[in-house]
Amino acid sequence: MRLFLKHMLFASLVFIGLSLLISFASLWALRQGSFYKPSFLEYQVEASKFDYIVLGSSIGLTTLNTEVIDSVLGTRGLNLSMDDTALSSQYMMLEHFIASGKQTNICVLAASILDYDVVNNRLSGNDYRFLPYGSRTYVQDYYKSFSGRPAQILFYSKWFPMLGIGYYNTELFYPSIVSLIDSKKRNRFNAFGNYSYPEVSKESKSIEARRELKVAFKNPYMQRIQDLCAKHKIQLVVYIPPHKQIKVQPVEMPFHIINHSATLKNTEYFYDVQHVNVLGRQAASLRFAQEVSGLMGF
Amino acid sequence: MLFNSLDFAVFLPIVFVLYWFIFQRSLKWQNLLLLVASYVFYGWWDWRFLGLIMFSTLVDYLVALDLAKQQQLTKRKLLLAISLICNLGLLGFFKYYNFFIESWVDAWESLGINMSVSTLSIILPVGISFYTFQTLSYTIDVYRKQLKPTKNLIQFASYVAFFPQLVAGPIERAKQLLPQFSRPRVFNTDMALSGVSLIIWGLFKKMVVADNCAFFVNQIFDGAGNYSSAELFLGAVLFGFQIYGDFSGYSDIAIGVARLFGFSLMTNFSFPYFSRDIAEFWRRWHISLSTWFRDYLYIPLGGSRGTKWQGIRNVFIVFLVSGFWHGANWTFIIWGGLHGLLFLPLLIQKKNRKYIDATYLKLNQLPRILFTFILVCLAWVFFRADTLSIAWDMLQQIFSFSSGSLVLFYATSKSLLFSLITIFGILVLLFFEFKTVQTNKKEVTLSTSKLIFIALLIVFMGVYKNPSDFIYFQF
Repeated sequence: MRLFLKHMLFASLVFIGLSLLISFASLWALRQGSFYKPSFLEYQVEASKFDYIVLGSSIGLTTLNTEVIDSVLGTRGLNLSMDDTALSSQYMMLEHFIASGKQTNICVLAASILDYDVVNNRLSGNDYRFLPYGSRTYVQDYYKSFSGRPAQILFYSKWFPMLGIGYYNTELFYPSIVSLIDSKKRNRFNAFGNYSYPEVSKESKSIEARRELKVAFKNPYMQRIQDLCAKHKIQLVVYIPPHKQIKVQPVEMPFHIINHSATLKNTEYFYDVQHVNVLGRQAASLRFAQEVSGLMGF
Repeated sequence: MLFNSLDFAVFLPIVFVLYWFIFQRSLKWQNLLLLVASYVFYGWWDWRFLGLIMFSTLVDYLVALDLAKQQQLTKRKLLLAISLICNLGLLGFFKYYNFFIESWVDAWESLGINMSVSTLSIILPVGISFYTFQTLSYTIDVYRKQLKPTKNLIQFASYVAFFPQLVAGPIERAKQLLPQFSRPRVFNTDMALSGVSLIIWGLFKKMVVADNCAFFVNQIFDGAGNYSSAELFLGAVLFGFQIYGDFSGYSDIAIGVARLFGFSLMTNFSFPYFSRDIAEFWRRWHISLSTWFRDYLYIPLGGSRGTKWQGIRNVFIVFLVSGFWHGANWTFIIWGGLHGLLFLPLLIQKKNRKYIDATYLKLNQLPRILFTFILVCLAWVFFRADTLSIAWDMLQQIFSFSSGSLVLFYATSKSLLFSLITIFGILVLLFFEFKTVQTNKKEVTLSTSKLIFIALLIVFMGVYKNPSDFIYFQF
């Protein structure tokens, strides 16, 4: 038995040592690259002061084109939206943005419509993208605030990174190799953080009616985002993007709301029910620029 | 409890420590611990079905004790019938009830007569096909006077519910496993180390090979109409690796875990994809089931004795029943029948035992190996497809050779990544197995450095987020 345990102990120690080494190297490589938005922000974005940033889910990512907005307004914007994320992730991204020493005048929040009234938040599908910064307190606190195995894995990755790197191996380990080979490689977004869905629908049909949806901003992360913005003197603007079937009726809030949920009247602008395509993105971005210009002092 | 779960990673060391450090002096307590651990292991999935195992255990325990006392053939047959009815009755109800009802209704509907018979919403208890066959072997062996019944209920119950192999085999014979519960156990370092090696190798097969293959297999079989001939063919090949990695991986882990407790379980897979014909494939694939059917069905039917036609009939019955054992669906029966058909030419030409002793592979045998592998993979289409029509459509599409496009495997960066991981995993599997076959060993053995290498592959190439269930759990 003693020989067996000695053998197992030796093998386990070597295994843990090697997996730790590989995992730390993997996280380091991710931090040195631009594959995901959190490291893109720190590694590739040189500017430190912005007129506005866009925080959001896939909706923010694919609706607002900062290049279009900036070309119209002469501003400097950055899209930090990530697909498959919730309001909690957007709060996290704002924390990360501030922690990276960058500044913005306006924070445009373009989350999923239904997310604004979620009361019980859960870890989002792409929150692992903050793991390269897992040793930072705000990231740890964030992971710790959720229950469930993935959140625990990400939290304990601070000490045992092979947990997170192993669990999310296709999402973290292999991209770290890509980052090592090409540190400028980005995962489906351009140098300004923008991405668009292709124009797949050739259908052109007038949208006659939309279901009305009241949004009351009950999500606790809404208040946290407001507080964080207030603390850093950032003006919060909530942008409700065009939707194919829903017309949003937001309640009065102490922040500015740009409600474009019913502005696009034709199906040709949509990729699916809640996402616009490349045409819709152009139209929505121009419309947004018009409306936001006043806020920016133009 | 799944072998590839965190629960099991906690459960196993606890049982190991209790077994070897707390109860090492008492065989009785060790067996009791194994029994309790086995029931916890099973009850983790659904404790309600523990009653079925206990019932099955009790019936066969009592029947076997009575069989030993009875000399009168009629009474002995009656006792055997009680065991068969109880065990097969439970299996029939939970696994086949709805199938028979639906087939009955379909048969009448095909004649234009509509029937309204409601089916039941029955949950299939995990592992019922495995432990039913295991307990049956005990009673039949006692009936045949090949085995003396045990009077120790704890030992017998531990044999029936032995957690390493309870839910997906190997289906152990009482003759082989039961006596091990009555022997004092001494810790054997080499045995335990080989057990750990098998556990790691089994996890690699399951988590790296099978679960990565599943990424493509599920897409292809769920939307067969959308893919090219080449993609469908590769889907069948990948399912071949998925089911092998999944099932043989489970068996390896089961055998490895049993060794940690001082038990030897039979080899269940012996590198089946290196088979040179279908007969050899069946000597290497799911050996515990094949030999079970050989001993308790094929030989009682007359085996190869009698006329050639009787031999062919017996082989077909075994293959069809084997297919039906896997699941209550015509797809499994056709799969079994197809293997029977593939076996037939060898049987007629008396070549079915050609490779029984030839263990070393030669380069000129590669075409035979590939041919056998392709036949097996094409048959897997019936095994994996949800319905016969889907399987048939897939095979028609494959053989239409309409398109060689493989775009599914590289269309997105994610699919390209999964392709590379899957190919690498399969190559590692084949490399280790080929080396083992060439050295005439029965199982892959890993040195410490190889063990660590494979463990690292599991961490960085395994599927964790959405792992597939072990396929054979559904049987």
